[in-house]
Amino acid sequence: MVETIEKDTILIADDAELNREMIKFIFEEQYNILEAEDGEQAVKMIAENNDRLCLLFLDLLMPKMSGLDVLRFMNEEDYIDYIPVIMITGEATDETDEKAYEYGASDIIYKPFAPNVVMRRAKNIIELFEHRIYVERKLEKRTRQLRESREKLERSNEFLVNALSSVVEFRSLESGEHIQRVKYFTKIFLKYLMKYYPQYGITKEQAALIVSASALHDIGKIAIPDNILLKPGRLTQEEFEEMKRHTIYGCEILEKFKQEDNEFYHYCYDICRYHHERHDGNGYPDSLKGDEIPIWAQVVSIIDVYDALVSRRVYKSAYAVEEAIRMIMDGECGVFSPEILDCFNLAKAELLLITEEGFSYADVEATITE
Amino acid sequence: MTVQEFYDEVGGDYNDIMSRLRTEDRIRKFAGMFTRDESYNTLVKNINDGDIEEAFRAAHTMKGMCQNMAFTRLYKSSHEITEILRGKDLVEAKKMLEVVTEDYNIVIAGIEKLLK
Repeated sequence: MVETIEKDTILIADDAELNREMIKFIFEEQYNILEAEDGEQAVKMIAENNDRLCLLFLDLLMPKMSGLDVLRFMNEEDYIDYIPVIMITGEATDETDEKAYEYGASDIIYKPFAPNVVMRRAKNIIELFEHRIYVERKLEKRTRQLRESREKLERSNEFLVNALSSVVEFRSLESGEHIQRVKYFTKIFLKYLMKYYPQYGITKEQAALIVSASALHDIGKIAIPDNILLKPGRLTQEEFEEMKRHTIYGCEILEKFKQEDNEFYHYCYDICRYHHERHDGNGYPDSLKGDEIPIWAQVVSIIDVYDALVSRRVYKSAYAVEEAIRMIMDGECGVFSPEILDCFNLAKAELLLITEEGFSYADVEATITE
Repeated sequence: MTVQEFYDEVGGDYNDIMSRLRTEDRIRKFAGMFTRDESYNTLVKNINDGDIEEAFRAAHTMKGMCQNMAFTRLYKSSHEITEILRGKDLVEAKKMLEVVTEDYNIVIAGIEKLLK
């Protein structure tokens, strides 16, 4: 860790040597003193010594650059935030006093100088700034630490969710990239939803959580027996009823670790349970209708259907993208809300782009964590 | 010549300067510095040249030094000329310069005696 340079220097900027000496003799035993004869010299010395300066005495009326010009410079270069300035002036005029304070001067002293008063005021201001800079540095460090640990936590969470969701895929021996694609498509879909349907009030932070939660939509399939889950042919009515129960099994798994006050838990739960519900009430397991289905479940629902259509499964071959889109729009895969369909229409060009280009696992990771 | 006598002679405030600078040695040192300052000469030159801005600054600097040195009489006249120059009245400034010069010469002569 780099140790900060000791702030032990006072700069006195005044065109009269006598006036500089009047201040210098007060401080020269305890501080290094730099002197500037005019505004230009002052600016140069501030730039060269800014990390050592603990205070600047600044005369208002000086040749070349006035005290106010020097203050303006210090504002432009942000020196004003960590080098306190005490203005020196002959008489109080409201106008210049106000300007000096407005430009960030900490104090104003009037001639003639009373050494005790000048000393006390200067020390107070130096201590105040030292303390402020110290607190700010500490806060900065703490903020950085917090951000780092949060990022670490987010990466760990993502890893765990991915690992957990891939357990089902691993077992069903198919479409290894389905979950990564659902995440990616969900992310794109949400981008359009947030832009064109702000009334749903989805924030960037919520969108990130929903994308993450979408990975777990089929987690309940872990509880479906092999003879149904892996069956190559059409399921019987009875088998299909069991298959539909994966929405409920998923929630049963999640409920064991219920976190009532955690937003992410609720997204996971809703998406697991409701991603097969349909707008007209003809979905499962609860036959919810319209707005009863949380919007995040509606989103994952249409994405899940789209990805299932365009990818090959044990029981079917893949549809062409255009055909898949037509089937969804025509309601052949169940009814979606007009808003969801409209949004799908808006997003489809971008969805289509990545579907046609093929899909690599690495691409998804890179894009989702961006 | 004592510092007290010097301040009485030039129309200054001995008690004020002592309360701030504490020692007579230091007062002598600053008095020496006052004689080396160019503000008065700059003031005269710029009034003659008609450069009101520069004359104003020189007068202002001089006034400030007089405040710090507790040269009350010279402070008053240099304060007056500063205000005249702030108002950009060159004719009045020239008249006032005579008073300033008189007060200034008294101070300079006093310092010479003080430091002898």
